[in-house]
Amino acid sequence: MTQIIQIKDFSMGFGDVTVIKDLSFHVNKGETFGLLGSNGSGKTTTIRALLGIYPPRSGELLISGKPYSVSGGVRLGYLPEERGLYKKEPVIDTMLYFGQLKGLTRERAYSEAMAFLERVGLADKAKTRLDKLSGGQQQKVQLGITIMADPELLILDEPTKGFDPVNRRLLMNIIEDHQKKGATVVLVTHQMEEVERLCDRIILLKDGAAAAYGTVKEVREKHGGKSLDDIFISIYGDEDKGGDNA
Amino acid sequence: MHNLGTVIRFEITRTLKKKTFWIMALGFPLIFAVVGCIIYFSHRATDDASKNLDQQKFSFVVSDESKAIKPVIVTATGGKMDDPAHKQQDIDAVKNGSLDGYIFYPADLVHGTVEVYGKNVDIFNNSRYSSVAQAILSLSASSAVSPNVKAALAGNTSINFTSYRDGAVYDPIKRAILPAVFLVMFYFLIAFFGNQMLTSTTEEKENRVIEMLLTTVEARTLIIGKILSLIMLSIIQGLIVIIPVIVGYLLFHDKLNLPNLDLSSLPVDWGAIGIGFGVFAASFLLFTGLLVAIGAAVPTAKEAGGFFGIVMVLIFGPLYAASLFVSAPHNPFVTFLSLFPFTAPIPLLLRNALGNLDVWQALLGIAILFVTAVIVMSVAVRVFRFGALEYSRKLSLREIFSRK
Repeated sequence: MTQIIQIKDFSMGFGDVTVIKDLSFHVNKGETFGLLGSNGSGKTTTIRALLGIYPPRSGELLISGKPYSVSGGVRLGYLPEERGLYKKEPVIDTMLYFGQLKGLTRERAYSEAMAFLERVGLADKAKTRLDKLSGGQQQKVQLGITIMADPELLILDEPTKGFDPVNRRLLMNIIEDHQKKGATVVLVTHQMEEVERLCDRIILLKDGAAAAYGTVKEVREKHGGKSLDDIFISIYGDEDKGGDNA
Repeated sequence: MHNLGTVIRFEITRTLKKKTFWIMALGFPLIFAVVGCIIYFSHRATDDASKNLDQQKFSFVVSDESKAIKPVIVTATGGKMDDPAHKQQDIDAVKNGSLDGYIFYPADLVHGTVEVYGKNVDIFNNSRYSSVAQAILSLSASSAVSPNVKAALAGNTSINFTSYRDGAVYDPIKRAILPAVFLVMFYFLIAFFGNQMLTSTTEEKENRVIEMLLTTVEARTLIIGKILSLIMLSIIQGLIVIIPVIVGYLLFHDKLNLPNLDLSSLPVDWGAIGIGFGVFAASFLLFTGLLVAIGAAVPTAKEAGGFFGIVMVLIFGPLYAASLFVSAPHNPFVTFLSLFPFTAPIPLLLRNALGNLDVWQALLGIAILFVTAVIVMSVAVRVFRFGALEYSRKLSLREIFSRK
């Protein structure tokens, strides 16, 4: 199976603190991969290093065989954990901007944006400034931008954060649509229910290293058939305090 | 530089949609218009008061100890002469309202004070008494001398001075006008746009949009796009300011008593204009890059604002040494200010306008400014790239340069 993401011996730290140590894993093309872990376990740091936002201390982080660059030819859809858009701009202008940055023509970006807004019930808000929308509506717009230009690799960092159950279901449906189109999806989440429903393989990070890695079935079998929730608790349960996302 | 056009279009469009841009852009011409109107109405009111002196419909009495006042002028303006010995009675008449005004000219007009008393009309029209007192004095004095003396005293004689340099007629003031346009442009662009340059990247940080941007567009493209859009916006803003000023001048310069500008008589020194343009362009690039870099290094627009003052002092501080640029252009301190990139714009532009900037120094200054601008802009890209996710703290120089 073709590997779209390859991470080998990746180490990363901030100052004297080591966040990730010799982490290696891969993501196959077309699969949905769960990157799991408690707060501060290094999930977001790994994604940021993979996308070239953070420089790694050592190791190789490759997408389609090379370090990620905007001009590298990978159609990426990235929903970062830190949410935000141009608050003073109308929804449609922001979507058009990102759509065009992703290589769409203005007309194509407009039709994609409007189709998405129709689907999520925000078509009437197309000309509304983003700061006039609720937090959940802003999240939807950001998700819409993420999936513009038909990404072949979707990286979603805590995608359901701030969503109510209805919108969570909507998001799951959108992810499933992209799975069906053959996109590779990397899901960074705490929500084990989503993982069990969507993911083919997972990695659980603890203290910057892999605490579990394999298909969902393999990981569950290795832990006596327990649910992912129980496995998560058994791995992280001894931690009585959280940390910042790193 | 893929996507550069998209970035520039987005940045320009969203800025043009901001009310603050138009408030800033139209504020200057508006202030110019308001000041112009005030001057115009002030001149007109003064002229009218002077012309209509004989039509002033109020009763007044004049006492003159100086012997400088011509009774015929007092009579012609509707007043009556009275003996200075009756001064107190006349003042009492004004007090009790039986007389509108009383003017007393002392014997010594040089050291004494002309006393004017009047029945209150209102805050604006009360000045009519003093205006009449002044007008009577001026008309009396001027009627006693020849037109030549009158013109000389009034400073109305015209003087035509011709200076020569290298055997040709040379007017340093006229020659300075065109090169000085670049100095004025630089001043206004930094004053108007400095803050926008500073906050052009903090917005992305404050809105947390930077992570999505960095995975969609190259940091270099984004920064260069922002800088180019700022330059284009500056041109737009410049046109918004200049066009109404030119139109206003052409339509109203006679009424506003503005001097006639015969542009055809302006000497065109292409060398000085070229140097002015070079210094202006390099300086503008340098300070745009510097302000963008500062904005990228700090987490919020508020923190960026603290650095704005430092940059302004660097740019405009040399103006305090302006007299030195005129009197001692070859002083080592002036040379230092002219060649140190962060203080160079004003000394170079000013000295170029004054005509005391050596060509070698001008070319060296422009080269230094351009090289520094390129360095600063590449630093701005690094700062933006690596400081992107520093949402809550400033990036240190060590961190900027230690990262690969």
